[in-house]
Amino acid sequence: MTVLVVSNIDLTTNLQIMKPATFLDSTIKEATLNINNEYRYLKTGYYVSMHAEILGNRVIPSCENIIDSSRTPILLLRAAKAGVPTLPFLVTDSVKKITNELGFPVILFAVNPFIYDGYKVAHNKSALYRAVKSLGMNYKFAVCAQPLKGELFAVKSFFGKTTNSDPQLQKIAEKVYKTFKIPLCKLHIQKTVDKAYLCGLQPVNREELSEQDLLIISKEVSLISEQGEAFGV
Amino acid sequence: MSKIACFVEKYNFSDPREEDALQNFKLAAEKQGREFHFLFREDISDVAKYDAVFIRATTDPLNTAYVVSKTAWELGLKVIDDPESITICGNKIHQYALFEKYNVPYIPTMFLNKDELHHKKISDTFDALGKPVVIKAPYTSFSRYVEKAACETSFRDVAKRFFKKSDVLAIQKFTPTAFDWRVGVLNNDVLYVCKYMIPKGKWKHGAKLRGKPTVIWGRTVSIKRQEIPVRLREVALKACSVVGKGLYGVDIKEVDGNYVVVEVNDNPSIYAGYEDSMDHDIYQRIITYLSE
Repeated sequence: MTVLVVSNIDLTTNLQIMKPATFLDSTIKEATLNINNEYRYLKTGYYVSMHAEILGNRVIPSCENIIDSSRTPILLLRAAKAGVPTLPFLVTDSVKKITNELGFPVILFAVNPFIYDGYKVAHNKSALYRAVKSLGMNYKFAVCAQPLKGELFAVKSFFGKTTNSDPQLQKIAEKVYKTFKIPLCKLHIQKTVDKAYLCGLQPVNREELSEQDLLIISKEVSLISEQGEAFGV
Repeated sequence: MSKIACFVEKYNFSDPREEDALQNFKLAAEKQGREFHFLFREDISDVAKYDAVFIRATTDPLNTAYVVSKTAWELGLKVIDDPESITICGNKIHQYALFEKYNVPYIPTMFLNKDELHHKKISDTFDALGKPVVIKAPYTSFSRYVEKAACETSFRDVAKRFFKKSDVLAIQKFTPTAFDWRVGVLNNDVLYVCKYMIPKGKWKHGAKLRGKPTVIWGRTVSIKRQEIPVRLREVALKACSVVGKGLYGVDIKEVDGNYVVVEVNDNPSIYAGYEDSMDHDIYQRIITYLSE
Protein backbone atom coordinates (compact mmCIF):
# COMPACT_ATOMS: atom_id res chain seq x y z
CA MET A 1 0.00 0.00 0.00
CA THR A 2 1.26 3.45 -0.81
CA VAL A 3 0.82 6.19 1.74
CA LEU A 4 0.64 9.84 0.86
CA VAL A 5 2.40 11.99 3.43
CA VAL A 6 1.09 15.56 3.68
CA SER A 7 3.08 17.73 6.05
CA ASN A 8 3.55 21.36 7.00
CA ILE A 9 6.77 20.41 8.79
CA ASP A 10 10.07 19.71 7.05
CA LEU A 11 10.84 16.11 7.78
CA THR A 12 14.24 14.44 7.48
CA THR A 13 13.21 11.45 5.44
CA ASN A 14 13.68 10.25 1.89
CA LEU A 15 9.95 10.02 1.40
CA GLN A 16 8.03 12.29 -0.91
CA ILE A 17 6.28 14.88 1.24
CA MET A 18 3.42 16.97 -0.11
CA LYS A 19 2.58 20.45 1.15
CA PRO A 20 -0.96 20.88 2.51
CA ALA A 21 -1.88 23.53 -0.11
CA THR A 22 -0.86 21.22 -2.96
CA PHE A 23 -2.90 18.37 -1.53
CA LEU A 24 -5.99 20.56 -1.08
CA ASP A 25 -5.94 21.33 -4.80
CA SER A 26 -5.47 17.70 -5.79
CA THR A 27 -7.69 14.63 -6.11
CA ILE A 28 -5.13 12.02 -5.08
CA LYS A 29 -6.80 8.87 -3.83
CA GLU A 30 -4.36 7.29 -1.45
CA ALA A 31 -4.22 6.55 2.24
CA THR A 32 -3.24 9.91 3.69
CA LEU A 33 -0.98 10.62 6.64
CA ASN A 34 -1.56 14.19 7.71
CA ILE A 35 1.34 15.63 9.70
CA ASN A 36 0.79 19.07 11.18
CA ASN A 37 1.91 20.68 14.39
CA GLU A 38 -1.66 21.81 14.96
CA TYR A 39 -4.90 20.21 13.87
CA ARG A 40 -7.17 23.05 14.89
CA TYR A 41 -10.71 23.01 13.56
CA LEU A 42 -11.03 25.19 10.40
CA LYS A 43 -7.25 25.49 10.07
CA THR A 44 -5.22 23.87 7.30
CA GLY A 45 -4.41 20.76 9.35
CA TYR A 46 -8.13 20.10 9.68
CA TYR A 47 -8.93 20.77 6.03
CA VAL A 48 -6.29 18.27 4.89
CA SER A 49 -8.06 15.49 6.79
CA MET A 50 -11.46 16.71 5.61
CA HIS A 51 -10.33 16.75 1.97
CA ALA A 52 -8.91 13.24 2.32
CA GLU A 53 -12.16 11.97 3.83
CA ILE A 54 -14.26 13.51 1.06
CA LEU A 55 -12.00 11.84 -1.51
CA GLY A 56 -12.76 8.59 0.26
CA ASN A 57 -9.17 8.16 1.50
CA ARG A 58 -8.29 6.52 4.74
CA VAL A 59 -6.68 9.25 6.77
CA ILE A 60 -4.79 9.80 10.00
CA PRO A 61 -6.15 11.67 11.89
CA SER A 62 -9.88 11.70 11.09
CA CYS A 63 -11.97 14.88 11.34
CA GLU A 64 -14.04 13.35 14.11
CA ASN A 65 -10.95 12.62 16.17
CA ILE A 66 -9.52 16.08 15.52
CA ILE A 67 -12.67 17.72 16.87
CA ASP A 68 -13.18 15.33 19.76
CA SER A 69 -9.61 15.41 21.03
CA SER A 70 -9.64 19.20 21.20
CA ARG A 71 -12.88 19.32 23.24
CA THR A 72 -11.61 18.40 26.70
CA PRO A 73 -14.85 16.79 28.01
CA ILE A 74 -15.09 14.54 24.95
CA LEU A 75 -11.38 13.76 25.11
CA LEU A 76 -11.75 12.62 28.71
CA LEU A 77 -14.96 10.71 28.08
CA ARG A 78 -13.59 8.73 25.15
CA ALA A 79 -10.17 8.24 26.73
CA ALA A 80 -11.76 6.89 29.91
CA LYS A 81 -13.81 4.47 27.81
CA ALA A 82 -10.56 3.25 26.27
CA GLY A 83 -9.06 2.61 29.69
CA VAL A 84 -6.97 5.77 30.13
CA PRO A 85 -6.95 6.94 33.77
CA THR A 86 -8.89 10.22 34.09
CA LEU A 87 -10.47 12.09 36.98
CA PRO A 88 -14.19 12.95 37.18
CA PHE A 89 -14.91 16.27 35.50
CA LEU A 90 -17.68 18.84 35.30
CA VAL A 91 -18.81 20.89 32.32
CA THR A 92 -20.48 23.99 33.67
CA ASP A 93 -20.27 27.76 34.06
CA SER A 94 -21.29 27.66 37.72
CA VAL A 95 -18.60 28.42 40.29
CA LYS A 96 -20.90 27.14 43.02
CA LYS A 97 -21.24 23.78 41.35
CA ILE A 98 -17.48 23.41 40.94
CA THR A 99 -16.86 24.38 44.57
CA ASN A 100 -19.53 22.02 45.90
CA GLU A 101 -18.70 19.02 43.78
CA LEU A 102 -14.95 19.24 43.23
CA GLY A 103 -13.51 21.55 45.89
CA PHE A 104 -9.98 22.95 45.56
CA PRO A 105 -7.59 23.03 43.87
CA VAL A 106 -9.13 22.57 40.42
CA ILE A 107 -7.78 22.70 36.90
CA LEU A 108 -9.93 24.35 34.22
CA PHE A 109 -9.90 24.00 30.45
CA ALA A 110 -11.91 26.27 28.14
CA VAL A 111 -14.81 24.92 26.09
CA ASN A 112 -15.32 27.72 23.57
CA PRO A 113 -14.43 28.57 19.97
CA PHE A 114 -11.72 31.08 20.79
CA ILE A 115 -9.28 29.57 23.27
CA TYR A 116 -7.43 26.49 22.10
CA ASP A 117 -4.30 26.66 24.19
CA GLY A 118 -3.68 26.84 27.91
CA TYR A 119 -5.56 26.15 31.09
CA LYS A 120 -5.94 27.67 34.54
CA VAL A 121 -5.49 26.30 38.02
CA ALA A 122 -7.54 27.74 40.90
CA HIS A 123 -6.64 27.24 44.56
CA ASN A 124 -9.42 29.35 46.07
CA LYS A 125 -12.80 30.83 45.30
CA SER A 126 -11.67 34.20 44.01
CA ALA A 127 -9.15 32.60 41.65
CA LEU A 128 -11.92 30.25 40.51
CA TYR A 129 -14.25 33.16 39.76
CA ARG A 130 -11.54 34.86 37.72
CA ALA A 131 -10.71 31.65 35.84
CA VAL A 132 -14.33 30.79 35.02
CA LYS A 133 -14.88 34.37 33.89
CA SER A 134 -11.85 34.56 31.61
CA LEU A 135 -11.98 31.01 30.18
CA GLY A 136 -15.75 31.33 29.73
CA MET A 137 -15.31 34.69 27.97
CA ASN A 138 -17.33 36.58 30.58
CA TYR A 139 -19.71 33.68 31.35
CA LYS A 140 -20.66 33.21 27.70
CA PHE A 141 -19.28 29.67 27.59
CA ALA A 142 -18.87 26.69 29.88
CA VAL A 143 -15.56 25.40 31.22
CA CYS A 144 -14.35 21.89 31.93
CA ALA A 145 -13.24 21.49 35.55
CA GLN A 146 -11.24 18.62 37.07
CA PRO A 147 -9.87 18.21 40.58
CA LEU A 148 -6.14 18.79 40.85
CA LYS A 149 -4.66 16.06 43.00
CA GLY A 150 -1.02 15.98 42.05
CA GLU A 151 1.74 17.56 40.06
CA LEU A 152 0.80 18.88 36.64
CA PHE A 153 3.01 18.65 33.59
CA ALA A 154 2.95 18.43 29.81
CA VAL A 155 4.60 15.85 27.57
CA LYS A 156 4.95 15.89 23.81
CA SER A 157 3.51 12.80 22.16
CA PHE A 158 4.56 11.70 18.68
CA PHE A 159 2.51 8.78 17.40
CA GLY A 160 1.82 7.80 20.99
CA LYS A 161 5.48 7.80 21.95
CA THR A 162 6.98 10.13 24.49
CA THR A 163 10.57 10.71 25.55
CA ASN A 164 9.47 10.71 29.18
CA SER A 165 10.74 7.56 30.90
CA ASP A 166 7.76 7.08 33.24
CA PRO A 167 5.98 3.88 32.14
CA GLN A 168 2.58 5.22 33.29
CA LEU A 169 2.96 8.25 31.06
CA GLN A 170 4.09 6.11 28.16
CA LYS A 171 1.02 3.96 28.59
CA ILE A 172 -1.27 7.02 28.59
CA ALA A 173 0.36 8.47 25.47
CA GLU A 174 0.09 5.12 23.72
CA LYS A 175 -3.59 4.63 24.57
CA VAL A 176 -4.52 8.19 23.68
CA TYR A 177 -2.88 7.72 20.30
CA LYS A 178 -4.65 4.42 19.78
CA THR A 179 -7.98 6.12 20.50
CA PHE A 180 -7.60 9.43 18.66
CA LYS A 181 -4.68 8.91 16.26
CA ILE A 182 -3.40 12.47 16.63
CA PRO A 183 0.19 12.14 15.35
CA LEU A 184 1.62 15.24 17.05
CA CYS A 185 0.25 16.67 20.26
CA LYS A 186 0.98 17.78 23.77
CA LEU A 187 -0.64 15.88 26.63
CA HIS A 188 -1.41 17.50 29.96
CA ILE A 189 -1.05 14.98 32.72
CA GLN A 190 -1.28 15.13 36.49
CA LYS A 191 0.57 12.73 38.68
CA THR A 192 -0.15 11.86 42.30
CA VAL A 193 2.27 9.82 44.38
CA ASP A 194 1.35 6.61 42.65
CA LYS A 195 -0.90 7.35 39.69
CA ALA A 196 -0.96 9.42 36.50
CA TYR A 197 -4.14 10.87 34.96
CA LEU A 198 -4.83 12.45 31.58
CA CYS A 199 -6.15 16.05 31.86
CA GLY A 200 -6.01 17.54 28.39
CA LEU A 201 -4.59 17.50 24.87
CA GLN A 202 -3.36 20.53 22.97
CA PRO A 203 -1.39 21.32 19.82
CA VAL A 204 2.41 21.50 19.84
CA ASN A 205 3.84 24.86 18.84
CA ARG A 206 6.30 24.70 16.01
CA GLU A 207 9.00 26.26 18.17
CA GLU A 208 8.58 23.45 20.65
CA LEU A 209 9.73 20.87 18.12
CA SER A 210 13.43 20.14 18.63
CA GLU A 211 15.83 18.57 16.13
CA GLN A 212 15.54 15.38 18.15
CA ASP A 213 11.72 15.53 17.90
CA LEU A 214 11.88 15.95 14.14
CA LEU A 215 14.07 12.86 13.89
CA ILE A 216 11.60 10.82 15.92
CA ILE A 217 8.67 12.07 13.85
CA SER A 218 10.49 11.38 10.58
CA LYS A 219 11.35 7.87 11.68
CA GLU A 220 7.74 7.12 12.62
CA VAL A 221 6.45 8.56 9.36
CA SER A 222 8.83 6.31 7.40
CA LEU A 223 7.72 3.28 9.39
CA ILE A 224 4.03 3.95 8.84
CA SER A 225 4.43 4.59 5.14
CA GLU A 226 6.38 1.35 4.75
CA GLN A 227 4.03 -0.77 6.82
CA GLY A 228 0.73 1.01 6.45
CA GLU A 229 -0.92 -1.07 9.17
CA ALA A 230 -1.75 1.95 11.25
CA PHE A 231 -4.51 2.69 8.74
CA GLY A 232 -6.16 -0.64 9.29
CA VAL A 233 -7.71 0.39 12.59
CA MET B 1 -41.09 6.87 31.50
CA SER B 2 -38.57 8.23 29.05
CA LYS B 3 -36.93 11.56 29.78
CA ILE B 4 -35.98 14.11 27.18
CA ALA B 5 -33.44 16.86 27.89
CA CYS B 6 -33.76 19.99 25.79
CA PHE B 7 -30.41 21.77 25.77
CA VAL B 8 -30.99 25.51 25.62
CA GLU B 9 -29.16 28.74 26.36
CA LYS B 10 -30.76 31.86 27.82
CA TYR B 11 -31.04 33.49 24.39
CA ASN B 12 -33.44 30.76 23.25
CA PHE B 13 -36.03 32.42 25.50
CA SER B 14 -35.44 36.00 24.42
CA ASP B 15 -37.91 35.86 21.53
CA PRO B 16 -41.47 35.05 22.69
CA ARG B 17 -42.16 33.16 19.45
CA GLU B 18 -39.27 30.82 20.13
CA GLU B 19 -40.20 30.51 23.79
CA ASP B 20 -43.74 29.51 22.74
CA ALA B 21 -42.30 26.91 20.39
CA LEU B 22 -40.18 25.46 23.23
CA GLN B 23 -43.28 25.27 25.44
CA ASN B 24 -45.07 23.52 22.57
CA PHE B 25 -42.33 20.88 22.53
CA LYS B 26 -42.77 20.39 26.26
CA LEU B 27 -46.55 20.05 25.92
CA ALA B 28 -46.20 17.61 23.03
CA ALA B 29 -43.79 15.48 25.05
CA GLU B 30 -46.00 15.45 28.12
CA LYS B 31 -49.02 14.53 25.98
CA GLN B 32 -47.05 11.51 24.82
CA GLY B 33 -46.22 10.62 28.41
CA ARG B 34 -42.58 11.77 28.30
CA GLU B 35 -40.74 13.97 30.74
CA PHE B 36 -39.27 17.05 29.09
CA HIS B 37 -36.74 19.18 30.92
CA PHE B 38 -34.78 22.23 29.85
CA LEU B 39 -31.09 21.63 30.39
CA PHE B 40 -28.91 24.70 30.81
CA ARG B 41 -25.18 25.09 30.57
CA GLU B 42 -24.45 24.77 34.27
CA ASP B 43 -26.01 21.28 34.39
CA ILE B 44 -24.47 19.74 31.27
CA SER B 45 -22.94 16.96 33.32
CA ASP B 46 -26.51 15.68 33.96
CA VAL B 47 -26.92 14.51 30.34
CA ALA B 48 -26.38 10.92 31.45
CA LYS B 49 -29.64 11.02 33.44
CA TYR B 50 -31.76 11.30 30.29
CA ASP B 51 -32.86 9.01 27.47
CA ALA B 52 -32.76 11.55 24.64
CA VAL B 53 -31.35 15.00 24.01
CA PHE B 54 -32.88 17.70 21.84
CA ILE B 55 -30.51 20.60 21.21
CA ARG B 56 -32.00 24.04 20.60
CA ALA B 57 -28.94 26.14 21.49
CA THR B 58 -26.84 27.17 18.49
CA THR B 59 -24.61 24.34 17.35
CA ASP B 60 -21.04 24.39 16.09
CA PRO B 61 -18.21 21.89 16.56
CA LEU B 62 -16.54 24.51 18.76
CA ASN B 63 -19.59 25.27 20.89
CA THR B 64 -20.81 23.75 24.11
CA ALA B 65 -23.68 22.23 22.11
CA TYR B 66 -21.22 19.88 20.38
CA VAL B 67 -19.95 18.67 23.75
CA VAL B 68 -23.56 17.95 24.77
CA SER B 69 -24.30 16.19 21.48
CA LYS B 70 -21.20 14.02 21.43
CA THR B 71 -21.52 13.15 25.11
CA ALA B 72 -25.11 12.01 24.52
CA TRP B 73 -24.00 10.07 21.45
CA GLU B 74 -21.16 8.33 23.32
CA LEU B 75 -23.63 7.39 26.07
CA GLY B 76 -25.93 5.84 23.48
CA LEU B 77 -28.78 8.39 23.76
CA LYS B 78 -30.93 9.51 20.87
CA VAL B 79 -29.85 13.02 19.96
CA ILE B 80 -30.92 15.86 17.67
CA ASP B 81 -28.58 17.36 16.44
CA ASP B 82 -26.19 14.43 16.26
CA PRO B 83 -22.45 15.14 16.26
CA GLU B 84 -21.91 14.21 12.62
CA SER B 85 -24.69 16.52 11.43
CA ILE B 86 -23.17 19.33 13.50
CA THR B 87 -19.79 18.67 11.92
CA ILE B 88 -21.10 18.70 8.35
CA CYS B 89 -23.56 21.58 8.77
CA GLY B 90 -21.19 23.61 10.92
CA ASN B 91 -18.69 23.71 8.09
CA LYS B 92 -20.16 24.68 4.72
CA ILE B 93 -16.92 23.75 2.94
CA HIS B 94 -17.39 20.18 4.15
CA GLN B 95 -21.02 20.29 3.06
CA TYR B 96 -20.40 21.63 -0.46
CA ALA B 97 -17.63 19.09 -1.01
CA LEU B 98 -20.17 16.37 -0.18
CA PHE B 99 -22.77 17.94 -2.51
CA GLU B 100 -20.19 17.87 -5.27
CA LYS B 101 -19.28 14.27 -4.56
CA TYR B 102 -22.88 13.03 -4.49
CA ASN B 103 -24.28 15.21 -7.30
CA VAL B 104 -26.64 17.32 -5.23
CA PRO B 105 -27.66 20.35 -7.33
CA TYR B 106 -26.24 23.33 -5.43
CA ILE B 107 -25.45 26.93 -6.03
CA PRO B 108 -22.25 27.40 -8.12
CA THR B 109 -19.40 27.47 -5.62
CA MET B 110 -15.61 27.70 -5.63
CA PHE B 111 -13.26 27.22 -2.69
CA LEU B 112 -10.57 29.75 -1.85
CA ASN B 113 -7.53 28.77 0.22
CA LYS B 114 -5.83 31.30 2.44
CA ASP B 115 -2.64 31.42 0.34
CA GLU B 116 -4.59 31.97 -2.89
CA LEU B 117 -5.73 35.48 -2.14
CA HIS B 118 -3.97 37.14 -5.06
CA HIS B 119 -4.98 39.10 -8.15
CA LYS B 120 -5.07 36.22 -10.63
CA LYS B 121 -7.18 33.94 -8.48
CA ILE B 122 -9.62 36.74 -7.68
CA SER B 123 -10.07 37.71 -11.32
CA ASP B 124 -10.45 34.04 -12.30
CA THR B 125 -13.15 33.76 -9.67
CA PHE B 126 -15.00 36.80 -11.04
CA ASP B 127 -14.66 35.39 -14.57
CA ALA B 128 -16.14 32.08 -13.51
CA LEU B 129 -18.94 33.31 -11.26
CA GLY B 130 -19.65 36.84 -12.51
CA LYS B 131 -19.90 40.02 -10.46
CA PRO B 132 -20.73 40.40 -7.67
CA VAL B 133 -19.89 37.16 -5.88
CA VAL B 134 -21.00 36.03 -2.46
CA ILE B 135 -18.24 35.24 0.03
CA LYS B 136 -19.24 32.80 2.71
CA ALA B 137 -17.35 31.78 5.83
CA PRO B 138 -17.82 28.05 6.52
CA TYR B 139 -19.33 28.69 9.97
CA THR B 140 -22.16 30.93 8.73
CA SER B 141 -25.56 30.88 10.44
CA PHE B 142 -28.51 33.26 10.64
CA SER B 143 -27.29 35.05 7.47
CA ARG B 144 -24.11 36.15 9.26
CA TYR B 145 -20.63 35.90 7.72
CA VAL B 146 -22.11 36.01 4.22
CA GLU B 147 -21.14 39.11 2.25
CA LYS B 148 -21.20 40.36 -1.31
CA ALA B 149 -18.14 41.61 -3.18
CA ALA B 150 -18.22 43.32 -6.58
CA CYS B 151 -14.59 44.38 -6.93
CA GLU B 152 -11.16 43.12 -5.97
CA THR B 153 -10.78 45.62 -3.13
CA SER B 154 -13.95 44.59 -1.33
CA PHE B 155 -13.23 40.92 -2.16
CA ARG B 156 -9.88 41.16 -0.38
CA ASP B 157 -11.39 43.10 2.49
CA VAL B 158 -14.12 40.53 3.20
CA ALA B 159 -11.89 37.50 2.57
CA LYS B 160 -9.19 38.76 4.93
CA ARG B 161 -11.72 39.12 7.72
CA PHE B 162 -13.16 35.64 7.19
CA PHE B 163 -9.70 34.06 6.88
CA LYS B 164 -9.01 34.97 10.51
CA LYS B 165 -11.04 31.99 11.62
CA SER B 166 -10.98 29.60 8.66
CA ASP B 167 -8.21 28.76 6.19
CA VAL B 168 -10.73 27.98 3.43
CA LEU B 169 -13.75 30.03 2.25
CA ALA B 170 -16.60 29.41 -0.17
CA ILE B 171 -17.17 31.84 -3.04
CA GLN B 172 -20.59 31.63 -4.67
CA LYS B 173 -22.48 32.96 -7.64
CA PHE B 174 -24.72 35.86 -6.61
CA THR B 175 -28.25 34.60 -7.15
CA PRO B 176 -30.90 37.13 -6.08
CA THR B 177 -34.42 35.74 -5.64
CA ALA B 178 -37.58 37.07 -3.99
CA PHE B 179 -37.49 34.24 -1.45
CA ASP B 180 -35.60 31.14 -0.38
CA TRP B 181 -37.49 27.91 0.08
CA ARG B 182 -36.98 26.52 3.58
CA VAL B 183 -37.83 22.84 3.74
CA GLY B 184 -37.84 21.26 7.19
CA VAL B 185 -36.76 17.62 7.00
CA LEU B 186 -36.87 15.00 9.73
CA ASN B 187 -35.54 11.47 9.27
CA ASN B 188 -35.66 11.61 5.44
CA ASP B 189 -39.18 13.01 5.33
CA VAL B 190 -40.54 16.51 4.77
CA LEU B 191 -41.65 18.08 8.06
CA TYR B 192 -42.67 21.58 7.02
CA VAL B 193 -42.34 23.92 4.05
CA CYS B 194 -41.89 27.69 4.13
CA LYS B 195 -40.85 30.56 1.96
CA TYR B 196 -38.36 32.80 3.70
CA MET B 197 -39.02 36.11 1.97
CA ILE B 198 -36.05 38.37 1.33
CA PRO B 199 -36.63 41.90 2.71
CA LYS B 200 -37.26 44.46 -0.03
CA GLY B 201 -34.08 45.86 -1.55
CA LYS B 202 -31.94 43.26 0.27
CA TRP B 203 -30.46 39.97 -0.85
CA LYS B 204 -30.52 37.72 2.19
CA HIS B 205 -33.24 36.65 4.62
CA GLY B 206 -31.64 38.44 7.56
CA ALA B 207 -30.27 41.79 6.40
CA LYS B 208 -28.86 44.83 8.12
CA LEU B 209 -30.23 48.27 7.50
CA ARG B 210 -27.57 50.61 6.26
CA GLY B 211 -25.54 51.96 9.16
CA LYS B 212 -27.63 50.23 11.81
CA PRO B 213 -26.76 47.19 13.89
CA THR B 214 -30.27 45.72 13.99
CA VAL B 215 -31.05 42.86 11.64
CA ILE B 216 -34.36 42.85 9.82
CA TRP B 217 -35.88 39.56 8.79
CA GLY B 218 -38.10 38.82 5.83
CA ARG B 219 -41.56 37.38 6.32
CA THR B 220 -42.11 33.64 6.64
CA VAL B 221 -44.88 32.23 4.48
CA SER B 222 -45.60 28.61 5.13
CA ILE B 223 -47.44 26.10 2.95
CA LYS B 224 -48.86 22.67 3.74
CA ARG B 225 -46.29 19.91 3.49
CA GLN B 226 -48.50 17.93 1.09
CA GLU B 227 -48.39 20.83 -1.33
CA ILE B 228 -44.63 20.88 -1.78
CA PRO B 229 -43.60 20.80 -5.46
CA VAL B 230 -42.38 17.28 -6.32
CA ARG B 231 -38.99 18.35 -7.60
CA LEU B 232 -38.39 20.60 -4.57
CA ARG B 233 -39.10 17.66 -2.31
CA GLU B 234 -36.65 15.46 -4.23
CA VAL B 235 -33.87 18.03 -4.09
CA ALA B 236 -34.38 18.74 -0.37
CA LEU B 237 -34.33 15.07 0.59
CA LYS B 238 -31.33 14.35 -1.62
CA ALA B 239 -29.38 17.19 0.02
CA CYS B 240 -30.20 15.93 3.52
CA SER B 241 -29.32 12.36 2.62
CA VAL B 242 -25.63 13.30 2.35
CA VAL B 243 -25.72 14.89 5.81
CA GLY B 244 -27.64 12.42 7.96
CA LYS B 245 -31.01 11.32 9.26
CA GLY B 246 -31.80 14.04 11.80
CA LEU B 247 -33.67 17.34 11.73
CA TYR B 248 -32.63 19.88 9.11
CA GLY B 249 -33.74 23.09 7.45
CA VAL B 250 -32.76 23.11 3.78
CA ASP B 251 -32.44 26.46 1.99
CA ILE B 252 -33.20 26.16 -1.70
CA LYS B 253 -33.38 28.75 -4.45
CA GLU B 254 -35.67 28.43 -7.43
CA VAL B 255 -33.85 29.69 -10.51
CA ASP B 256 -35.52 29.46 -13.94
CA GLY B 257 -37.61 26.51 -12.82
CA ASN B 258 -34.63 24.65 -11.35
CA TYR B 259 -34.04 24.07 -7.66
CA VAL B 260 -30.54 24.62 -6.33
CA VAL B 261 -29.50 24.03 -2.74
CA VAL B 262 -28.01 26.99 -0.88
CA GLU B 263 -27.28 25.00 2.27
CA VAL B 264 -28.54 22.40 4.71
CA ASN B 265 -28.75 23.65 8.29
CA ASP B 266 -28.87 21.52 11.37
CA ASN B 267 -30.66 23.03 14.38
CA PRO B 268 -33.23 24.86 12.19
CA SER B 269 -35.26 27.70 13.74
CA ILE B 270 -38.72 26.72 14.89
CA TYR B 271 -40.87 29.68 15.93
CA ALA B 272 -44.50 29.38 17.00
CA GLY B 273 -46.77 30.77 14.30
CA TYR B 274 -44.06 30.50 11.62
CA GLU B 275 -42.62 27.12 10.66
CA ASP B 276 -45.57 25.38 12.36
CA SER B 277 -48.40 27.50 11.00
CA MET B 278 -49.60 25.03 8.36
CA ASP B 279 -48.47 21.75 9.91
CA HIS B 280 -49.21 21.93 13.63
CA ASP B 281 -47.97 18.42 14.29
CA ILE B 282 -44.28 19.18 13.85
CA TYR B 283 -43.74 19.20 17.64
CA GLN B 284 -45.29 15.76 18.10
CA ARG B 285 -43.32 14.36 15.18
CA ILE B 286 -40.00 15.52 16.58
CA ILE B 287 -40.83 14.20 20.06
CA THR B 288 -41.90 10.86 18.57
CA TYR B 289 -38.63 10.64 16.66
CA LEU B 290 -36.69 11.34 19.88
CA SER B 291 -38.63 8.67 21.76
CA GLU B 292 -38.24 5.87 19.22
